[in-house]
Amino acid sequence: MLVSTLILNGLVMGAIYALIGVGLSLIFGVLEIVNFAHGQIYTLGALALALLVGHFGFGFLPAAFVSALGVAAFGYILYVLFLQHIRKGEFERGIILTLGIGIVVQNALIYFYGATPQIVDTEFSFRDINFLGLRVEMIKAIAVGFAIVSITALHLVLTRTRFGMAIRALSQNREAALVVGMRPEVVAGHAVVIGTALAGLAGAVLAPVFTVHPLMGAPILFKAFAIVIIGGLGHLPGAVVASLIIGVSESLAGGLGSASLQDAAVFLVMIAMLQFRPMGLFGKGVRI
Amino acid sequence: MAAASMNSPWPPLRRLGLSACAVILFTLPLWSPSDYITGIATLAIFFAVASTGLNVVYGYAGLLSFAQVGFWGLGAYVSALLVTDHGFSPWTAIGCAGAVCVFTSLAGGLAALRVSRDAFVVITLSFSLLLQLLARSWTSLTRGAMGIPGLPSPQVRLGDAILLDGNTASGFYWIALGCGALVVAATWWLLRSRVGRAFVAVNLDENLARSQGISVFLHQLSAFALSALIGGLAGALYVFKLGIVDPGIFDIYYAQMMLIIVIVGGAGHFWFVLLMSFVFTALPELLRLAPELRMILFGLVLIITIQFMPQGLGGYLADRRNRMLRRTE
Repeated sequence: MLVSTLILNGLVMGAIYALIGVGLSLIFGVLEIVNFAHGQIYTLGALALALLVGHFGFGFLPAAFVSALGVAAFGYILYVLFLQHIRKGEFERGIILTLGIGIVVQNALIYFYGATPQIVDTEFSFRDINFLGLRVEMIKAIAVGFAIVSITALHLVLTRTRFGMAIRALSQNREAALVVGMRPEVVAGHAVVIGTALAGLAGAVLAPVFTVHPLMGAPILFKAFAIVIIGGLGHLPGAVVASLIIGVSESLAGGLGSASLQDAAVFLVMIAMLQFRPMGLFGKGVRI
Repeated sequence: MAAASMNSPWPPLRRLGLSACAVILFTLPLWSPSDYITGIATLAIFFAVASTGLNVVYGYAGLLSFAQVGFWGLGAYVSALLVTDHGFSPWTAIGCAGAVCVFTSLAGGLAALRVSRDAFVVITLSFSLLLQLLARSWTSLTRGAMGIPGLPSPQVRLGDAILLDGNTASGFYWIALGCGALVVAATWWLLRSRVGRAFVAVNLDENLARSQGISVFLHQLSAFALSALIGGLAGALYVFKLGIVDPGIFDIYYAQMMLIIVIVGGAGHFWFVLLMSFVFTALPELLRLAPELRMILFGLVLIITIQFMPQGLGGYLADRRNRMLRRTE
């Protein structure tokens, strides 16, 4: 009973990690930029939701929607101003640039918003639902619902629409995509908008689950990195599987071991993965 | 990337400039108005050494590493623990800390260098975060968040006479300056040797380097180990300035400072990176900004540099000089 509760909680967290990890992986796949500002983008989503629900009296669902849209707009501005000027083979430049953006966003949030953690109280807070005889907090169940719906939608977009197929084509073979007349700067912009929208959505739906503060993005960013490495850089299904693995192992380590072991779980999984499959679960095995 | 600092090492102007800097640095405690200023200069020396370590692995060998702050903290903890728990003298402890860092970097590098360069960045970052987690959670060894207080000050003795006393601001400054100059000079010498040129060759074109019989893996590993040694030694001496070591030694602030110094100075430009260490340590003190505003400023400097001057100040000036030389010909 205990173990099944732990696994269920782990899957819940894993589903939410997947939202962040998939966005990061998508941006990497198309732009070959490891987005070090992804954690701060997630934070922006959470703070936007806290503001909309707390100050403007939005309901949780419209607030989450508006937050994700706002964050996506921010992501698009970042893309136009900065990311589109990074060329292939300059991945260090992309890392340093996004790191700088992350530093500015995080400290601006601390300066204007204050570093005190806030609790976001929504109409779904402090209620439980029953899932196969196990109790789950309603707010977490809603977050998982969002994760499942948006990842499924992303999958359909990427496999069924021209728009999505262009994104996949560009991440699989850039030269061939250019040959058939795609405009990489447009397609890459779409990928950034989707990736940042997912991170903003993740921040928004997680805001009522945890406390909200400007530094919340840093630890979750690192988990997203680990997920992307474990799943194979740029491999979206890999990122989803890795998220669930991380979520469940953290939950089991925390429940059966200790809080420190829970923090260490992501490192242990990553070390084990690098020992046996250095290119990640689904990596292509090429050294860039 | 490193071409500028490779040819004609000592033109007269540079020799004059370096001698002037050396005189200013060496006499600083004599004319410094307060211990506060001397303390800031001491901090700048530590940043100069630690950033030089990052410059070796990123600027010369082309591997962006976030492990530098990890080695800095690892060196700090090893030397603090050896002094408090095992009765080592600070100097032996610092030497051992350097050795531990080299050993760790070799073991870690063997695994981390097998993956792509992107994954290397993330793995070095996770190394530093893992060490911070250990420092916080392995309380039986590290005392956790409480830290290890009451570290003694290092001294330089000749017989029974104390030449330099780390208890005073000027004494510690000269100790740091002496050790720092030694490490920086040794690094400069190594980077100009065959090994250092091989680092650059591997960075510029791995396959071309291979065709010349240079082992890519071995040189990347040794650049990583050298950066670990430099970072570890710097961190190991730094704790004796603080007098206490706690998990804050792994703070992201140190990593960001080192990165900003190397990027703005110019990756692979030895002297500009040293110069920027002093600029970026002094700047926040001169501007007296709130910590958040200081980091916003640093972040903006980082963004602007990488956007408009991706080779940093050193690369920009070298480019301009080359263009002027071409024009006069």
